Amino acid sequence: MEAKQYIGEGWKHAILIIGAIVVLLPFYMMVSMSLKSQQEIQSISGGLIGAQETQTFPVCVKTGYSEEECTMKPYKYNYWFAFEKAPIPRYLMNGVIVTLSIFIIQVLVALPCAYALAKLRFYGREFVFSMVLFCLLIPVHGIALPLYVMLAQAGLVDTYSALILPWTISVFGIFLMRQFFMTVPDELIDAARMDGMGEYAIVWKVMLPTAIPALLAFAIFSVVAHWNDYFWPRMVITGNRDLFTPPLGIREFRGGIDSDEFGPMMASIVTVTVPLIVAFIIAQKRFIEGITLTGMK
Amino acid sequence: MHNSKAHLWFIAPAIILMIIILIFPLFLAGGISFTDYNLGNKTFEWIGLENYDKMFNRKTYVKMIWATATYVIVVVPISVILGLCAAMLLNSLRFGADIYKTIFFLPVMATLLAMAIAWEFTLHPTLGIVNNFLANGCGGAREFIFGFHWLPWVDSEQSWYAVACANNMDFPYWLKQKNTAIWTVCFIGIWQAFGFNMVLYLAGLTGIPRELYQAAEMDGAKSTWEQFKLVTWPMLGPTTLFVVTITTIRTFQVFDTIEILTKGGPSKTTYVMMYAIFEKAIQQNLTSIGAAITVVFIGFILILTFFQRYIIEKRVHY
Repeated sequence: MEAKQYIGEGWKHAILIIGAIVVLLPFYMMVSMSLKSQQEIQSISGGLIGAQETQTFPVCVKTGYSEEECTMKPYKYNYWFAFEKAPIPRYLMNGVIVTLSIFIIQVLVALPCAYALAKLRFYGREFVFSMVLFCLLIPVHGIALPLYVMLAQAGLVDTYSALILPWTISVFGIFLMRQFFMTVPDELIDAARMDGMGEYAIVWKVMLPTAIPALLAFAIFSVVAHWNDYFWPRMVITGNRDLFTPPLGIREFRGGIDSDEFGPMMASIVTVTVPLIVAFIIAQKRFIEGITLTGMK
Repeated sequence: MHNSKAHLWFIAPAIILMIIILIFPLFLAGGISFTDYNLGNKTFEWIGLENYDKMFNRKTYVKMIWATATYVIVVVPISVILGLCAAMLLNSLRFGADIYKTIFFLPVMATLLAMAIAWEFTLHPTLGIVNNFLANGCGGAREFIFGFHWLPWVDSEQSWYAVACANNMDFPYWLKQKNTAIWTVCFIGIWQAFGFNMVLYLAGLTGIPRELYQAAEMDGAKSTWEQFKLVTWPMLGPTTLFVVTITTIRTFQVFDTIEILTKGGPSKTTYVMMYAIFEKAIQQNLTSIGAAITVVFIGFILILTFFQRYIIEKRVHY
């Protein structure tokens, strides 16, 4: 490699590092604030983790805890107090319930339909497929208002059903699975029929196992989208804290931005955001594949 | 054909759900937009185009269209170009590409709402590191760079940076000021979106055969720029078309950052359509005007997608 190339490489890294700093800035801010004491946050001192001096926290004392209970290091206090103030495990649990229900129902609906569209011949198949293609164009967030009106008329606002129902049909899932099933050889299905398997058994015992890789990518796509979704829960959950999903929880923590302490607030936000980020860093390749699924044609 | 009834059971749930959840609401929105219906009312009257008339003539809704258009027109091209540049830079690196890829993809993954709040603090006038960084740089290299003093036509006494330094560190309150709020929200949108585009472009770049570059070199395209013009850019045509469409559709739907950071303000400069639908229809219970905005919104998205399909069929075939 020539010297010139080294210099070129160096420039590229310089540009990319500046980009990386800008990208990481809010992550740094978030983690740093969740570890530092209020004074350090307000005076923008203490670097990433602050001095971590053991101290008594006045807001905690005011809330009714004894002075002894309120004396500890800032990082510990921030996370402890965050869990004292809000039912964070409940929010996370709701996130899990909602995202998993959505994913399971989506698969239950999409897989048989995709199989029928790919491998069964019947009258009207082309019509059903063009209906799927048309529905691919409709962004569910765009029709949120009429959906909301329908749910309100049915008396379902502020329920788990409201969070789950609109997402039970994933036309994208049908489309994706159909494309995948097209590549499965007919012989496999014929052999299964020869063995006396019914069509139901074929879907779940023959097609499902072959579709695992595609399904995994779709799972990540679906779970990430609905875990992070804020717009829809904000529409249909008006006040019932028991139904809050993680993003609604985040909004609630942010509530007292001027009066409250920032440390515990950021600690709550970090707690809610971290599970997905950790999962992403562990299984990066799969995640990138899953999230850019929409990039497939 | 075996078991001839099985397919009915297989497709029926999907068809029923498609009709109830996706197709019927389109008609419902269309229907409501011609009435004065508000959620909870027992009756309603048909009022024709009155809602649409309001939308294109009342100041609020005109501002809404402006804010949405500004956001889309700024965020889409910049995040697409940044995504392309990042992908090409990473593709040409000898080492370390994976770590940058992970970092740039983080914003796509992370809960946008949480990151919006993190940005709010990062850009906060007294608590944020951005303004602190700027204030500490008065009179130094930072002022020279970010005050654009290196541009020949910028007077170094009168640049925005120098003025802020002179006025007791009066740096912008990024999200609360009329002249900066929309750009700050755009910036967060770009920050969030470009990693996604980068990954799509990286996939597109691996699909370009090496021989094409050798052939281009033989034809005399020696410089990187010439090779880009001759090979990379045309070969990325289909990827670009796709990236632009998907980014536009996502950008149109911006809501999280607006709701948590600006609430459409100051003076409606960030009043984008999704937020308008939410504020009018849910918070103020003006269902019919919300439905009219919904119809226009869906109209935009459908036009865009048909446009994309049209181009795909006409042009981008190699």
